[in-house]
Amino acid sequence: MSGVDLSLERLLFNLNTLAELGEEITSPKDFTRVVKSSLYMVMGTFSASKGIVFQYDQGDGLFTQIASKGLTDVRGAGLKIGKDAASAIIRNNKPVDLKSADPIIALLGPGREFLERLGARVLAFLIVKDELLGLIAISDKFSGEDYTLYDYQLLSVMGQHISFSLHSHTLLMRLMYRYNENKGLYENLRRIYYDTIHAFAAAIDAKDAYTKGHSHRVSSYSAAVAREMGWSADDIEGIRISGLLHDIGKIAVDKSIINKASPLTSNECKELNSHPVIGYEILSRIKFPWKGIPMMTRNHHEKVDGSGYPDRLKKHDIPMGARIMALVDAFDAMTTDRPYRPRLSFREAIDEVKDHYNRQFDPEVVRPFISVIRKEVLSEVENPTIVPLMHEHLDPVTLSRILEGFPH
Amino acid sequence: MAGRHRHRETGTSVVVYADNYINDIEGEKLEEMCDAFLAKGFKKIVIDFSGTDLVNSIGVSILIGIIEKIKGKGAVVFSGLKDVNFQIFHIVGLTRHIRVFNNEEDALKGSASCDGASL
Repeated sequence: MSGVDLSLERLLFNLNTLAELGEEITSPKDFTRVVKSSLYMVMGTFSASKGIVFQYDQGDGLFTQIASKGLTDVRGAGLKIGKDAASAIIRNNKPVDLKSADPIIALLGPGREFLERLGARVLAFLIVKDELLGLIAISDKFSGEDYTLYDYQLLSVMGQHISFSLHSHTLLMRLMYRYNENKGLYENLRRIYYDTIHAFAAAIDAKDAYTKGHSHRVSSYSAAVAREMGWSADDIEGIRISGLLHDIGKIAVDKSIINKASPLTSNECKELNSHPVIGYEILSRIKFPWKGIPMMTRNHHEKVDGSGYPDRLKKHDIPMGARIMALVDAFDAMTTDRPYRPRLSFREAIDEVKDHYNRQFDPEVVRPFISVIRKEVLSEVENPTIVPLMHEHLDPVTLSRILEGFPH
Repeated sequence: MAGRHRHRETGTSVVVYADNYINDIEGEKLEEMCDAFLAKGFKKIVIDFSGTDLVNSIGVSILIGIIEKIKGKGAVVFSGLKDVNFQIFHIVGLTRHIRVFNNEEDALKGSASCDGASL
């Protein structure tokens, strides 16, 4: 290390470099580019023809190269040090000459030989708040001059600048890692949640030999109508879940009543009709992330003229979600086989909807329901949900005839 | 020829204009460009700095890279250096390895047998 011989020109050149380095490390540029530019600045300042930047991983003690220049092959470039060596480097915290007898060099072990092979001469460790983050290694000067005391001081300052950039990047990466980890956990929880609800729906439908898939259909039909009505994505998700669980109260109803082919007695009818209230009681104990699920379940057998059950609510007193489910639930019941009758054709089902328009079914729901069917027949929707499940072919002409005279 | 640096070919020499692109890591493309000129059979490369306001440390690093890369393959000389850039090249030791001419014409006319540093 030789003495200091500073010209005004050199001082200005170095000050300019420091200003540019400061600007570079605070720029919003991509991190790899910032590190590369910073390395070039260091190399240009000391006219070094070779240079490399390593990032240090405290976990495994490995230095991994993140930028280099003038080195033809840095594949597998890596360096490992122990915790004690890292602590000593942090305590020392100043650039070192690889050819010197500095005790820090001895701590590098086989890494010293590796760095010499790369052509390194001076090392500046990147340290922030007692944390070793990386290392810059540069070669001898292209000019053949020795590194001066002033060079070491300047390299130390430049190293501190680059350390801050590396520190910010490390913090960001840790934050991203945590974020992704939490996101993964949340996705897992969400999947378990959905799987559980689907399992419930399957258990509900399994009680009734005739209603296999009923809850899933009510769920997807309700979501399709809600979407047509312009509901938000969150509310659509809520009615989709509600559709899956709307018959959960049937778990408490005797299986023989659910599957009975002959007319039900008064008591049996009373027991079956208790399922919306039982369902409400079960679901109101659950804290759903969507609003209205227990009430949609309770009121999905209400009719707009007030003749439904359990609360005999009239149109505007019935939650909109329950009005949607009342229609699609009845429609699916009509278009699937039941123990007491075979399924109705699409035309017969639509005639029933017409007959009970504004009495059982809300016109504000029937209209979007018909609109969805029309769009699906005209292939105007990407993923049709209702028409593909009808057991008959529906074309625009047939549909038009079926809907003839339908109240608007 | 790929790269965004202006250049002019004349006989077995080529003049490449560093402009201000040399001051960014993208300026490294100049290195490949010079290498490609030599591979095509050009004997001398004149890097002209008449359009370069101030060479910064990145520019110095790139120029050293060029000199190292074409070592033994041909000759590189500089021309058109503003005083401030000459000073910088002097500080970092480049002028000890590269001949510097006042302008590109002088650099091109420079004796073929002694045309700057034969690297």
